[in-house]
Amino acid sequence: MTGEHAVRRGFVRDWLLTVDHKKIGIMYGIACLIFFFLGGAAALLIRTVLWKPGTPEILPGPDSFNQLFTMHGTIMIFLFMIPMLTAAFGNYLIPIMIGARDMAFPRMNLLAFWIFILGGLVILSSFFLGIPDTGWTAYPPYSIQTPGVGLDLWVAAVHILGLSSILGSINIIVTVFNLRASGMTFNRLPLLVWAMLVTAFIQLFGTPALAGAVTTLLLDRHAGTIFYTASMGGDPMLYQHLFWFYSHPAVYVMILPAMGLVSEIIPVFARKPIFGYRAIAYSSVTIGFLGFLVWAHHMFTAGMSLSAGIPFMITSMIIAVPSAIKIFNWLATLWRGSNVFTTPMLYSTFGFMGLFTIGGLSGLYLAAVPVDIHVHDTYFVIGHFHYVLFGGSMMAVLAGIFYWFPKVTGRMYSEKLGLWSFWTSFIGTNLTFFPMFYVGVMGMPRRVFQYDINLQFANDVATIGSYILGIGAILMVTNIIISLRSKVKAPDNPWGAKTLEWSVSSPPPEHNFRETPVVTSTPYDFGVASPRQFNEENVGTR
Amino acid sequence: MDIGWFLPEAIANMAEKVDSLFILISWVSLAIFILVEMLLFIFLIRYRRRRSDDQGLSIHGNTKIEIIWTVIPAIILVIIGVLGSQLTYDIQRPPKDVYTIEVAGKKWAWDFKYPEGFKTTNELRVPEGKNILFKITSNDVIHSFWIPALRMKQDAVPGRQTQFWTGALKKGTYSIPCAEYCGTMHSMMLGKLTVVSQDDFNQFVKSGGKGGTTTSSSASPAEKGKALAQSSGCLNCHAVDSSKLFGPGWGGVYGKSKKLADGSTVMYDDQYIVESIMKPSAKIPEGYTAPMPPQNLTEDEARLIAEYMKTLK
Ligand code: HEC
Ligand SMILES: [Cu+2]
Ligand SMILES: [Cu+2]
Repeated sequence: MTGEHAVRRGFVRDWLLTVDHKKIGIMYGIACLIFFFLGGAAALLIRTVLWKPGTPEILPGPDSFNQLFTMHGTIMIFLFMIPMLTAAFGNYLIPIMIGARDMAFPRMNLLAFWIFILGGLVILSSFFLGIPDTGWTAYPPYSIQTPGVGLDLWVAAVHILGLSSILGSINIIVTVFNLRASGMTFNRLPLLVWAMLVTAFIQLFGTPALAGAVTTLLLDRHAGTIFYTASMGGDPMLYQHLFWFYSHPAVYVMILPAMGLVSEIIPVFARKPIFGYRAIAYSSVTIGFLGFLVWAHHMFTAGMSLSAGIPFMITSMIIAVPSAIKIFNWLATLWRGSNVFTTPMLYSTFGFMGLFTIGGLSGLYLAAVPVDIHVHDTYFVIGHFHYVLFGGSMMAVLAGIFYWFPKVTGRMYSEKLGLWSFWTSFIGTNLTFFPMFYVGVMGMPRRVFQYDINLQFANDVATIGSYILGIGAILMVTNIIISLRSKVKAPDNPWGAKTLEWSVSSPPPEHNFRETPVVTSTPYDFGVASPRQFNEENVGTR
Repeated sequence: MDIGWFLPEAIANMAEKVDSLFILISWVSLAIFILVEMLLFIFLIRYRRRRSDDQGLSIHGNTKIEIIWTVIPAIILVIIGVLGSQLTYDIQRPPKDVYTIEVAGKKWAWDFKYPEGFKTTNELRVPEGKNILFKITSNDVIHSFWIPALRMKQDAVPGRQTQFWTGALKKGTYSIPCAEYCGTMHSMMLGKLTVVSQDDFNQFVKSGGKGGTTTSSSASPAEKGKALAQSSGCLNCHAVDSSKLFGPGWGGVYGKSKKLADGSTVMYDDQYIVESIMKPSAKIPEGYTAPMPPQNLTEDEARLIAEYMKTLK
């Protein structure tokens, strides 16, 4: 009895109340993965409904369908992708990568985590109290009129989660500026840290706009204000401006850290220095700035004059350049490398690089005003951002999970299962999301269960693809669970990587470093001047 | 190569211009796509690790090549941007001689008001060979008026007027989905565009928007009611069986007693039906809190619909 009691208190103290950045990162990661499966279940239900056109038969009614896509979007964005990248990976990796013992404000870190959980619970509570049905964008006036508490819970959750990410961002910014080990200059920062830093600034500046947008929504709903009531002089488009002023940069919150992750992984498995370190780092900064200048590309057909869209078309075109730069730099990193196809490497190259390219290119259609007039608010857009967020960000997240798994758990994952989960998710992604471009262009709007019968085949392909994705996700978790139980201990540095987390034990000791490390070079000093010379001298890799 | 199969039929000049920009972007994307994926594939395979201790070449970068792959994409994007801007101005400027149709979105149907003064619901009928200007607004929430065959779309925003125009159209029937999520039955907010000859259109105008739409005068009252229910958008909210969509289902209710929200019961007969249609707030059935939005039908038309409802099991 007493023994069990002690264990339990130990768990609370060791985990739930820990201020250790690594444990907080792990808790974020687990929570996010749970939310991912929830959001994924909603997606699979949506795809199942779309197996054939017409009023959904497997759901209680049309409203349930609308609630499903609202919850899918909300959960995947606010409870999975943003916190997974910035909070789970961010918390675990930033301090240890810059040679710090913890985040600058460990207690605030824990607070931010519990605020995040609270926000998640508020969203989950809507399953019992009333689910919002507005779509994750919650445009007024519909969102003002929709009955029930669903949208009120949604607004509350957005506020709570926003607070959590503001606290998290402040913590990251202060940590990176103040806690770098000696010798860790900005030009030696791992590229992931660069990306995280830019991301933190984006969140800090963007989140208040979202908070303003949803607060006014709430006031319109309950306090009788008329911010968005046209008949009384309000303007529904104001909301869209505020919303996208946050939510376009939020897209970069979900992609910059992903780019950071693959920038860490590719050089290690190519055994080559990252090509164009500065180009990659500074293009993150450029994206961070430009990201705030493109928001109205979501509103080309919303009621502003078409020519007012032209400046936003130009900025949206320009912002493609820094992304292209990164792709070319990663390609150049692979050139004359010594590439080995581990699971994280496959996810980063064929997965992230290959699929994000499709996501980025499909963005050109949406940036061009005349074409966007046709494809805006259609399945084409759904295809586009899923190639970015699933083909891009999600592939990077999976790459990251497998890459740091040995470090975080002290166990090796199963490479064989890993390869299976890669190929299923790669095939599943393309089967699911490529047909969406086609059905969108052909005339299927987003957020509908009704569509032209001629588009059924393409929709069915997408549905089958989504089931394959589901299998891929299950394989990934199976791998994690099986590997956690295995007895195979991971070495401290199985990949021969050079960022600081690999210089300590797996898993790392409580305060990361027994002695504060001194940094003398960038973490990408791989490779030899000539491969032959290497083979002759047979220099060790570490 | 023709990639037209990737696009729906284009029935206006401007739609074809949009398509050519679409196709241009497709070629550019395809070229970049092939370049990137090919290099990715080649580099990964060609430079795969052969011995476990093999190392890559230690090169850290090259300023010249960075500049090249910054400038070239930038130039390509600027070209697309310039072409896009020109086309945007073309789309924005309507010609002088236009036939103006006022479009109003409402939950969950499109109302069309013609310059001659009559109105139709969900049935948009236009003459071929004329310039047409659509002035778009909404009576409730935001909708989006999309005619895929024209490649044109503008949101219908309450309190604001948006517009787009089109030149001569090809005869035929095309769909008008709502592209902006607008609530429960958004998916079913589907209008129909019919492009007819000038003669047929004159006929249509003379009949006050009825000509050719509904069934012939010899049809039974129930058949007329059915056509009315379809063209007035009733079936977006009411199922023809007993299932509940946004409003109560119509199947198998006639002649039975009906529970109301205030606890009383009424007989579901012609009188109740007509009253429900003409004065929705008078009696609200159990399970509903808000009355049905007003429908623009005459009392005679409401009677026809009652006849139709009788036939539903
Ligand atoms: C926007 C959705 C919507 C549309 C469109 C709509 N209705 Fe309704 N209808 C409702 C709702 C909701 C109710 C229940 C509340 C009420 O009775 O006012 C209702 C109730 C009714 C009733 C009473 C039914 C009962 O079981 O008590 C009749 C009859 C009816 N509608 C006829 C029509 C006709 C005819 C049309 C087409 C001209 C139409 N409705 C279009 C939503 C709609
Ligand atoms: Cu955007
Ligand atoms: Cu709609």
